[in-house]
Amino acid sequence: MTDIFTREIIKDALQAIGDEMFSAMIRTSMSPIIYETTDFAVGVTDTKGNLIAQGNGVAAFLATLDTAVQSLLEHHPAKTLKEGDLFITNNPYEGGGTHLSDVVIILPVFFEGELVAFTVNKAHWMEVGGTFPGSVSTTSTEIYQEGLRFSFLRLYDGGKANESLIQLIRDNVRLPDSTIGDMQAGIAAARVGAARITEIAKKYGKDGMADAIEDLLDYGERMTRLELAKLPNGTWQAEDIVEEDGLGNGPFTLKVSVTIKDDEVIADFTGTSDQAKGPINCSYTGLATGARTVLKAMTNPDIPANGGSFRPLTVICPPGTVISAQAPAPVSIYYEPLIAAIEVMWKALQPILPSRLPVGHQRTVGATFISGTHPATGDLFVMGEPLVGGWGATADHDGDSGQFCCGNGETYNIPVELAESRYGFQVTRYSFDEREGGAGKFRGGKGVVLDYKITADDAALTYSACRTTTRPWGTDGGLEGTLNGVTVFRADGTEEAHTMVNNLALGKGDTVRLVSATGGGYGNPAERPREAVAADLKNGFITPHEAENLYGMKV
Amino acid sequence: MRVASDVGGTFTDLVYCDFDAETGKAGEIKIAKAHTTPPNFEDGVLNAVEKAGINPAEIDFFAHGSTVVINALTERKGVKTGLLTTAGFRDVLEIARGNRPDLFNLAFQKPAPFVERHLRREVQERTCYQGQVETPADLSGLAATLDYFKKEGVEAIAICFLHAYLNPANEQAVADEIKNLWPDVSVIASHEISREWREYERTNTTVLSAYVHPIAETYIQRLENKLADKGFGGSLYMMQSNGGISTASAAKKNPITMVESGPASGIHAAACLGEITGHKNLIVLDIGGTTAKCTLIEDGHVRVSTNYYIEKDHKSPGYPIQTPVSEIVEIGNGGGSIAWLDAGGKMHVGPHSAGARPGPAAYGQGGDKPTTTDANLVLGRIDPKSFVGGDLEPDWTALENAFAPLCEGLGASQEEVARGVIRIANANMVNALRLVSVNKGYDPRDFALIAFGGGGAMHAVALADELNIPHVIVPVNSSVFSAWGMLMTDLRRDYIRTAPMAFDDDHAALIADRFSALMQEATSEFAEDEADGTSLIFTPYVDARYVGQEHTVKIPVAYTADGSVDTLRSLAAFHETYEREFTYRLDLSVEIVNLHLVASKPVAKANPVARPVTGAKIEDVILHTRSVDFDEHGLHEATIYDGLRLETGMELSGPAVIQEPSVTLVVPPAHTACVDAYGNYHIHAEPAGKGE
Repeated sequence: MTDIFTREIIKDALQAIGDEMFSAMIRTSMSPIIYETTDFAVGVTDTKGNLIAQGNGVAAFLATLDTAVQSLLEHHPAKTLKEGDLFITNNPYEGGGTHLSDVVIILPVFFEGELVAFTVNKAHWMEVGGTFPGSVSTTSTEIYQEGLRFSFLRLYDGGKANESLIQLIRDNVRLPDSTIGDMQAGIAAARVGAARITEIAKKYGKDGMADAIEDLLDYGERMTRLELAKLPNGTWQAEDIVEEDGLGNGPFTLKVSVTIKDDEVIADFTGTSDQAKGPINCSYTGLATGARTVLKAMTNPDIPANGGSFRPLTVICPPGTVISAQAPAPVSIYYEPLIAAIEVMWKALQPILPSRLPVGHQRTVGATFISGTHPATGDLFVMGEPLVGGWGATADHDGDSGQFCCGNGETYNIPVELAESRYGFQVTRYSFDEREGGAGKFRGGKGVVLDYKITADDAALTYSACRTTTRPWGTDGGLEGTLNGVTVFRADGTEEAHTMVNNLALGKGDTVRLVSATGGGYGNPAERPREAVAADLKNGFITPHEAENLYGMKV
Repeated sequence: MRVASDVGGTFTDLVYCDFDAETGKAGEIKIAKAHTTPPNFEDGVLNAVEKAGINPAEIDFFAHGSTVVINALTERKGVKTGLLTTAGFRDVLEIARGNRPDLFNLAFQKPAPFVERHLRREVQERTCYQGQVETPADLSGLAATLDYFKKEGVEAIAICFLHAYLNPANEQAVADEIKNLWPDVSVIASHEISREWREYERTNTTVLSAYVHPIAETYIQRLENKLADKGFGGSLYMMQSNGGISTASAAKKNPITMVESGPASGIHAAACLGEITGHKNLIVLDIGGTTAKCTLIEDGHVRVSTNYYIEKDHKSPGYPIQTPVSEIVEIGNGGGSIAWLDAGGKMHVGPHSAGARPGPAAYGQGGDKPTTTDANLVLGRIDPKSFVGGDLEPDWTALENAFAPLCEGLGASQEEVARGVIRIANANMVNALRLVSVNKGYDPRDFALIAFGGGGAMHAVALADELNIPHVIVPVNSSVFSAWGMLMTDLRRDYIRTAPMAFDDDHAALIADRFSALMQEATSEFAEDEADGTSLIFTPYVDARYVGQEHTVKIPVAYTADGSVDTLRSLAAFHETYEREFTYRLDLSVEIVNLHLVASKPVAKANPVARPVTGAKIEDVILHTRSVDFDEHGLHEATIYDGLRLETGMELSGPAVIQEPSVTLVVPPAHTACVDAYGNYHIHAEPAGKGE
């Protein structure tokens, strides 16, 4: 039995592995969606798939690592695993699943011949095949159109690479070097973590490590329960919609009833619409991730994310809804219903936690893909990027302006100077959107306007968003925010607006204008301090019309 | 006479020695300290000069490390700044990168920009990504913008246009016009500070430079004036973040280069001492009151990069500053770091610090929380009789009261808790040391650990044992080591240019041309600011990566005997460095992102002189014995030595403690310590292995 301080040190060392693997992944990746958007997560689980530590780039992967290991163990029981094995999966309908682009790598870690842990990571690969470049589609009707699917396959067998599988991948994707590079990054990160676990086991012994792991999980649980116990008991409901599925169907209702009972939470999504024909479906893994995200936000975000900390949470949802989709539902745009599920759950709880949970935000990833032929090099380019927008206000402060949505996180926009050298367009504007909206005692953060002027002879646009007809909500007299959307200004002077669009042909001189929503406001705008209103006016965050009519200030 | 001064939070350190420029002979290194005197920091410097009894007229070389830039930034004491950007991009400064490190905090607020939106104005202009000007800068609206800035009380203007790192013509045109229209205002254009891409990072850097510019300029001017009043007629140099010095006039133009000068001089000092004592592979650790900083020096080479941020942590994206800074990892773990229990009963040490006021509980100045220093006192490592240089009697009651809640919470004795505090503090530092060594593919067994700062000597040996570092070096007078480093620096400028191109034979001639152009630029700038552009030493590097990747590694560029770029050897170095850091290499083309030329002008060094040997016996320098807790090595009656009276060649074994007035070097059992010719301490684990 190790003493309490040594146990603390082992726990810290285990958690530090998350950070180490995270940096290994970023630094070795070949695609901006990993190194700028950080659309990935890395982690360690115990031998049963209980999460020990996780390094996150985005919030939306919180339940994808441990459940992947749990499903792996169903396909490949522990006794069939051997040193040097490495698995790959992206099956959306099982543990770890989101959409096919997010690929999970799992490495069983052995010490002195015995399985002691798993290292696991999940990352968005730029290309996994399918109908359209970037493996994204707003119009797919079956999973088979969305790319390659791997269900817990052995990528390495006892240390030997599965060359047939690697060649199969290479032959079925548009950017094989990038895809294989992303695979390498995942393998490198998993190995970095495995090396550290082996070191810890060597130094403190298998039992010392196992002891610390148990203690760590209990600590996470204890901390979460302490925070939950501070909240009132009761049941709170909320409802919201996802507007469309890409094929013109919709809207789809999301319903939640959240019950806090002493130190436990139950999130029941019963009543949510059936899964859609188009690709805005999310699997149960995605939903669990969303509920965990809210659990962290409503307790204390600093509590280490581990299996123990999630024990007080129960998520209920009948199968076959847009947030618990079943095979072979298309899931390409799974992140939109996922973040809608996150926001609707916090919307239910916002009245009891108005300082920690803001009112409505842009609630869309606003994922934009522009592909084409680079005018200088003649190479195929595929740009994929989420868009920043406006967040809602809280009871204490204005919403943040120009931030990625709740499903993102340590996500970076692509610098204009890099993007212009890499892709066939020029960015002609990237600034706050000055449309009116989100007024309040504390006002909503501003969305942005981003203009891409196409320089390639031919290119294509894929874009999907929510909050395109319903606005970010306000409360207590605070006003709603604005809408998301894209407008294409053609070189010939015509223009067209879209909310979901797939592989739309673009020509040289066309300008694609993305606009993201401004968040909702909190409280009556007339109560906003006069200095703040004057400053907003000076800074162009509100219009003279809003100042006079909503904030009651003579201009 | 050569003098270096380093302004710290509490004290302004002065290190000086006689130096004969003709013979290169240096005298003994001496030290003086004076209280730091905010906000007029130059007074503290002059007080220290006076305390040392130096006649300023006799000083020919004066190197100065100042915190004026970092203080102005962190205390938000800069001037009101306006920003001019390319039309369509004035909000880049506030949108920043959109990242939210505090992932699960839905009430996150990003750090506020240094320029409010109404003071961010746009100019119609455009340069394309290949560097051609598409639209020349439209200067017609500038007069109105400047009128607005004047009315709003703006004192400095930053200009940052897209792709100005490739072609600064539009920025220059606007800067020139501002100087015509408003000669008194301070103007900084991005290309003067950074020639690297990434518009948010470069804009923020330019804004922060403008924000501190008038303040730093005035400070340097006041220091020059006050020194001149006292008869100083030598050269004044300012320490920079890249580990070199610059003339006062160059520093006035581009003050942001001073932002991390303090840590940089410490790292540079370590490299110099390594050179002198024959240890070119070093892991460097500087433990102060609030933080511990560490870095790695390979073959005498200090890593300098522009990937630097202020106020960045696991919750905040901070503010990027694209200026060359000696790479360090800094953690909130110093002598004043507070130990505390969270709601789940877990003990943490840091990152909160008791600072200088109230300081550790034992200072008796109202500190009611236990710190690392208090724990070291409890365990007998710090001598109660020479606590804080013997100036202070430890307040044992305050100390016990501070530990009581932890003892109760953990059900442990004060000694057990103190041991836990040290162990957790050490584990935090080990994690930081791993980041700069093991995680970058280095084997700590190939290095020596050099430790300094107020707390370096106390923890160094335990940390080295943990990481299997075989050799620990603690410099004599390690609390003023950073200031000493400034006496040993050269004039240095870094020229970094984003220039994406394939790294292959086809581009070898272009690479060589670009570097020779940079060498010429360096020569003329040295001639302008340092009045001498001769005998410069050039070291070309490139930041390179595999095609398709984002992150780069820095490698020196190899040249063949006939002066052309040796791509074969350079690329071999790239693959090797890459593999060491990332565990694999790829069979892919390599591309250059940045060219990086280091231009330095050597300054004749006042090398340290050997300490006189009197033939004293080691028994003569024993102060006393006392009971010291060596954690896993147990509780022992340890011999306490007077460090400043130890002589060259003397050797001692643990359990022991070597004391200087403000340094405590803990030598655990099964370790030996010896003193080199200059009085520095070298500690080794005994061959029998660690522990008993």
